[in-house]
Amino acid sequence: MTPLFTVLLVLCGGLAGGLIGSLTGLGGGMIIVPLLTLVFHMPVPEAVGVSLFGVIATSTGAAPRFVGTGLNNVRVALFLQVAASTGALVGALLAHHLSAQFLFVLFGVVLGYSAIMSFLPKHAETAGVVQDSPLSHRLRLASRYQQSGEWVEYHVTAVLPGFAGMLGAGLLSALLGIGSGAFKVLALDRLMRLPFRVSTATSNFMIGVTAATSAGYYLSNGDVAPALAAAVVIGVLVGAYIGGHLVKVLPVKFLRRLFGGVLLLVALQMLFKGVINL
Amino acid sequence: MNRIVHERRLLNIWIVRASVAVCLLCFGIGVTIFLWHGGQAPASPSGSLLHILKLAVQAGAGWHASAFLNAGLVILLLTPMVRLVAGVYVSLRMRDWLYAVIGLIVIALVLIGLLAGQSGG
Repeated sequence: MTPLFTVLLVLCGGLAGGLIGSLTGLGGGMIIVPLLTLVFHMPVPEAVGVSLFGVIATSTGAAPRFVGTGLNNVRVALFLQVAASTGALVGALLAHHLSAQFLFVLFGVVLGYSAIMSFLPKHAETAGVVQDSPLSHRLRLASRYQQSGEWVEYHVTAVLPGFAGMLGAGLLSALLGIGSGAFKVLALDRLMRLPFRVSTATSNFMIGVTAATSAGYYLSNGDVAPALAAAVVIGVLVGAYIGGHLVKVLPVKFLRRLFGGVLLLVALQMLFKGVINL
Repeated sequence: MNRIVHERRLLNIWIVRASVAVCLLCFGIGVTIFLWHGGQAPASPSGSLLHILKLAVQAGAGWHASAFLNAGLVILLLTPMVRLVAGVYVSLRMRDWLYAVIGLIVIALVLIGLLAGQSGG
């Protein structure tokens, strides 16, 4: 396959990633890495390096939607970012020392989990049902946001379990080239009991910084093919833009399940590729 | 205090919009040159960000695709960093020393990633 054809196909892959990501909430990295490794047979660290730039673009492109709303809890984001960036740094350092087979199996498991989660109903708002833990109180993590003109106060608990969860999310992001948004929201929403909208906005900021921590490693280590990364970034941003408009007219619930099914098949293929080479 | 929070939001929106616009412009020009020259894939850059930017400026004089593609990569990579720096600046203005220090720790972790990559881990 010529470099020209590869770049054009990767551009289409990025477009699909951005489109599916904005329509279904499933991350673009879940599509880019299997495309680069299974179709183009690219080594895993190079596919991960390229994909991480798509993750930064996704986070940066979506940021204006969240920044002006006051939903992003900056204190929670900064505190947990210490864990996520530490995990990302360890992941980037480990990535070159782990076998491709292990990474394929890990990717298959994570992708399978995300695909199964896409079949489950989204979690409802949980604001105001918990009290601050002592550490949360000391770190002043509680905050408030505006909903229909009224202020909704919320509290934060389970700070250390959330911190540990972010360490794992950062590690997976750097090893697999994904945003780990599903895991970040899980830690913020289910463990620390932040309202779902707050955890989504806070996680968006964190995804970009986490990806930048490991993407810096991959870039300076010579693992990022610039033409492919550019194709992914352009594709992801344009796809997300189109998806943002289509989301109002398409049956999103049906699409989420449809692509969840497709991702489940890709997960099985990644697992199969990892296991048969063990 | 509310004025500072408002300033922080405006600063963040301005940073991300400008970054996405400049990055897309660089990548758009880079990919166009790449296609124009029949798809001669540029080599993967390595080393420090300054070194990559220096190479981009040198290649830019000859309108090589790598100049614009590498510049786009560096700009995109620096965007979350600039947002962090803006966050630290606002924390300092609000005399929120704890979160200024936490922000600096995160910036240090991102920088360690860059340095570790240069030395090959």
